Amino acid sequence: MEAVAPPAPAKTQDRVVTRQYKEPRDWAKWGLSIYFVIFLIFLYAPMILMAILSFQGYYGGVTFPFKGPVSLQWWRSIFQEQVGNQFTNAEAIRAAGERSVWVSLAAGAIVAALSFSLSMAFRRRFRGDGLAFYIILLALMTPGFLLGLGTQIFWKAMGEETSLWHTALGANTVWGIPFGFLVMVAIWNRYDDHIDEAARDLGANAATTFREVTLPLVWTGLFGAFLFGFTLTWNDYDRTVLLVLDNTLPLQIVGLIQAAALRPDLYALGTATTLVSLAVIVFFLIILGVRSRFRRTPVQSVEEELGLGGGIDAEAAEAVVEG
Amino acid sequence: MSSSSPDGPEPVPHLDIADIKADEAEVEAEHERALGVQRAARKEKGQGLITFLWALPGFVWLGFYLLAPLVFIVLMSFWTPDTAKGFVKDWTFHNYGTLLHPFSLNNAYWKDMLRSAQISAIAVAACLIFGFPVAYFLAMKVKKLQYQIALFILALAPFWTSFITRSVAWAYPLMGSHGALNQFLVKIGVSSYDHPLLDTQFTQLSVQLAMIQLYILFMVTPIFFLLAQVDRHALEAARDLGGNWWSTFREVVLPQTMPGIVIGSIFIFVLTMGEYGTVEVISQGAVTTVGVYVHSQIVGTQYPQGAASAVLLVFVLILGVFAITRFANLRDEI
Repeated sequence: MEAVAPPAPAKTQDRVVTRQYKEPRDWAKWGLSIYFVIFLIFLYAPMILMAILSFQGYYGGVTFPFKGPVSLQWWRSIFQEQVGNQFTNAEAIRAAGERSVWVSLAAGAIVAALSFSLSMAFRRRFRGDGLAFYIILLALMTPGFLLGLGTQIFWKAMGEETSLWHTALGANTVWGIPFGFLVMVAIWNRYDDHIDEAARDLGANAATTFREVTLPLVWTGLFGAFLFGFTLTWNDYDRTVLLVLDNTLPLQIVGLIQAAALRPDLYALGTATTLVSLAVIVFFLIILGVRSRFRRTPVQSVEEELGLGGGIDAEAAEAVVEG
Repeated sequence: MSSSSPDGPEPVPHLDIADIKADEAEVEAEHERALGVQRAARKEKGQGLITFLWALPGFVWLGFYLLAPLVFIVLMSFWTPDTAKGFVKDWTFHNYGTLLHPFSLNNAYWKDMLRSAQISAIAVAACLIFGFPVAYFLAMKVKKLQYQIALFILALAPFWTSFITRSVAWAYPLMGSHGALNQFLVKIGVSSYDHPLLDTQFTQLSVQLAMIQLYILFMVTPIFFLLAQVDRHALEAARDLGGNWWSTFREVVLPQTMPGIVIGSIFIFVLTMGEYGTVEVISQGAVTTVGVYVHSQIVGTQYPQGAASAVLLVFVLILGVFAITRFANLRDEI
């Protein structure tokens, strides 16, 4: 009986089913999308307005209306010592920029190295690890201004002079270490310890395993930690202001505010430092993207690093490792 | 063929296979044991020492640049002020006496402390109210992972730029009677240049709004990460059981995001209470917070008094954090 039934009714039924499951329009989603756009405007509008005003002409002020003609005059004034017949702050800005770059690079390197070694210690439980973790959290939670103040007092009490390299660098790395540490911990949480074990079982000693297997797999985390150290120091004011006489770029920006007349060169400098920060993140994201495209499986990299390319059936080995 | 001889050699090959299997298992076990011993030996030998060596440089550094400064703030607060050298190492409670004297409760320090607390509390509440929908949108309403990551990075990017620069961009082009905001309000006819609707010319209102703008990401991020982990099936189940939007949100979503809200609140409370540079830039010295107060003491080389002010600030911070953690038991959640 049923075998003779024509297929047409089945089709109708299908149509009915699809109609039944049609989702109602998600109005909450549309409302929240609009809200998200407003949120982005709230976040970015000040910086965009600042960037627009940095392209004003000679009579440009610090608020709208935009006083043309559109020119690069204020951008030139942060790089050239003389624009037209006006002397600029370019010399001080260049010196501050140079100091900022070097101290940020140093902070990035220190943060990467220390947060890596700290995270290595935290791969196993050890006595006092709870307290140790709270100390790292304390570094995250201490307001920058208090840390700068404490460092100032500590060095004064020891009778030492504070300076960019002796104290401001250290105070800035303290702010970067917890971020770098958390990045590395996230990396280790996803890291399969069996890979190390496999390398060791294949005869590699501890140092070789570390150098040839572990490091190549976690270097993006290291790079992330470096970037935290770099950008946080590059942008810092509160930790640095009490400690140094030689300006870094954020101190130089505040210096321009305190100058007699506010000019758009302040906006050009602010936009320039922001662009450097954003460029650094974009660079990091590009590297992450490139890396994930050429990503090898852990077993493949173990093989390669140990010069065993093709020696092991990768899938079978992976199954063993996983099992 | 062997069926004809029931007592024949039939069991023998059976035994043989079992033997071979047993042998194999033994070899395997032996191999495993050897590897296991090798691994155990690697684990045992000097593992504690290695962990110690990994931990050492980081904690020496943190000891020198984090703990020592904090300890010395406390020590300095008990030393005696000295006009020539700033301080001498004679112990005294005098620095606290002037701050905690009952008649000094309305002096500048506590007024600034109250102002900071007010700015901070409003910032925490506003960041939660305005930040939660952002996190909710990203975690719940953006379905494709690539879009989710891209939009999250877009929302998070300002964190990596300078708070000082963001303060400049806030205070000068946007705020003030001739800033973009008031010009817009004038254009739509609800404000004027002489009597602006919102007085944001280096005022506390401007600082307050800026704190929300600068720190809202600290609330969005932890809530986003927890919302992303909320089990979608639990939401469906709640709806199937007849829960409406609000009861689902209150009974299922909110309890699971509570730790994120608490972490975000702690961050924003602590960091805005200790804020110094951004307040100076945005208010041009017109608004004094506790950070500004302490800074002026240190710049005036009143180290012991400044240290005592800072210690009391830390005390207030600890009280505040303790109060916030009452809302969720973080130890259990993490």
